[in-house]
Amino acid sequence: MQELLDPVVLGQLLIGGLLAGALYALLACGLNLVFGVMRIINIAHADLMLVGAFAAWVLFATLGLNPVVALALVVPAAFLFGYGLQAVLIERVVGRPLLASLLATYGVSILLVNLGLLIFGSDYKSVPVWQGSFVVGEFVIPKPRAAAGAVAVALALGVYFFLERTRLGKAMRAVSEHPHVATICGIDTRRIRMIAFGLAAAMAAAAGAMLSMIYSFSPLTSADFIQKCFAIIIIGGMGNFLGALYGGLLLGVVEAYVGGVLTTQWAEAVAYLLLVLVLLVRPTGLRGAADVR
Amino acid sequence: MTEPLLAIRGLETAYGAVQVLFGVELDVHPGEIVAVIGPNGAGKSTVIKTVIGLARSSKGSIRFAGEEISRMAPHRIPALGIGYVPQGRIVFARMTVEDNLEMGAFLIGERARRRRAVDAVFAQFPRLHERRAQLAGSLSGGEQQMLAIGRALMLDPRLVILDEPSLGLSPKYVDLIFEQLVDLKRQGRTLLMVEQNAARALELADRGYALELGRNRYSDSGAALLANPEVRRMYLGGAGRA
Ligand SMILES: Nc1ncnc2c1ncn2[C@@H]1O[C@H](COP(=O)(O)OP(=O)(O)O)[C@@H](O)[C@H]1O
Ligand SMILES: [Mg+2]
Repeated sequence: MQELLDPVVLGQLLIGGLLAGALYALLACGLNLVFGVMRIINIAHADLMLVGAFAAWVLFATLGLNPVVALALVVPAAFLFGYGLQAVLIERVVGRPLLASLLATYGVSILLVNLGLLIFGSDYKSVPVWQGSFVVGEFVIPKPRAAAGAVAVALALGVYFFLERTRLGKAMRAVSEHPHVATICGIDTRRIRMIAFGLAAAMAAAAGAMLSMIYSFSPLTSADFIQKCFAIIIIGGMGNFLGALYGGLLLGVVEAYVGGVLTTQWAEAVAYLLLVLVLLVRPTGLRGAADVR
Repeated sequence: MTEPLLAIRGLETAYGAVQVLFGVELDVHPGEIVAVIGPNGAGKSTVIKTVIGLARSSKGSIRFAGEEISRMAPHRIPALGIGYVPQGRIVFARMTVEDNLEMGAFLIGERARRRRAVDAVFAQFPRLHERRAQLAGSLSGGEQQMLAIGRALMLDPRLVILDEPSLGLSPKYVDLIFEQLVDLKRQGRTLLMVEQNAARALELADRGYALELGRNRYSDSGAALLANPEVRRMYLGGAGRA
């Protein structure tokens, strides 16, 4: 117990937690983007992450590509996949009762999981790249974790700046606030929703490709992640992009500390304890929910 | 008389199974100010929503500058030259004043031209310029309405449609908004406005229409409607409110 108060141990846990949390954050930001723009909860979001993880695994196994390099292929492909999925399926449930979209995306989830099991089986896979660690002072950071965390933060911030600064990103926020008023500004809301879903799929797949370097995964790994993702967006505020970013980092750090002090089993459960705690104190999440109409 | 800029004929619109408009007729000529009055639920907003494509007609025609627009995708309407100020002064509350205006200019792809359009509206509404970096949600009701009007002017539209621009504002801001409307009139803009403040709207308007239960009831010049004792009794609460 004494050693847990050691600043080096605490710092090490903080670094590990932030790096893991960055992946949660990237994943949750995509889920929240879709919810914010079209009030749809995408149950298949973590399955899209695993599509990215398996894509990275295949590209590594066949071409020897490092997952960070593979992003150049995985991200655009996932964007197009998400864009198309929105066009052919998700558009049909926009503006319908929440249950319609839950069922539709649950269907996508089941389809992706079973396709994954069919193609890859249920054995755990991983992509062993970059052995070794960076040593910074007294802290030791495994190279794949450092790379995954850095890429995740960079991508999440990149999308944040896209939403804040660019004409298209602002249009996306306008659609999320008042789709009708956005329409009379000349914004094609359907196209914006397709781009938003494409972006979210690209973020999920990027998170998956990064995940492939640091975790073992199977097609069933998604269940765990989607649950944590729901906890994160409720903790951060539904539809609030930055809220998901902070919520993801927070969960990573808390899991790391709880795993360090207690056991990894406790770390797995802490997301839901955190969720209950936040809901008791601030029912709209840390940064406030986007108003749901 | 000139060709009407907007010509509505036999318009019927329903929400699901509930029909709301039963053959509405309405013209707006270039340079005119047209006011639509009528009790709550008469279908005034529905006429406007059908023109801009947010509601769909089941019958009748809507021609703008000679072109039939009743089946057009709603996001194509602004490019034709129609600006719209929604009922309830709806602004993008979580975006800055400047970004709200930029959204009004969304169709202008070139950044420098968009910038000039924003600056032109800032010149007209110095108050908005002062508050350009503030979130629109933090503005007062009157300022939000100004912002909504500014946003509708961004593309320099040939017709500006305003739905209840003074509704729910404090008297000070009601005056301010009507001053802005007078300004727009002086600039030669063509306006179609719905107003619960019927007396002031008719004073400003060249012509007016009174709707009731989704049908035309009266249509005449603004002054004639104001002078009509029946109209006064039914829509102006006996005497015109100042
Ligand atoms: N989105 C809607 N769905 C169903 N009914 C509506 C909708 N909007 C308006 N209505 C109904 O249509 C009628 C006309 O409404 P509206 O055009 O808003 O009237 P006004 O603007 O003159 O007050 C009212 O009876 C109203 O309840
Ligand atoms: Mg109305």
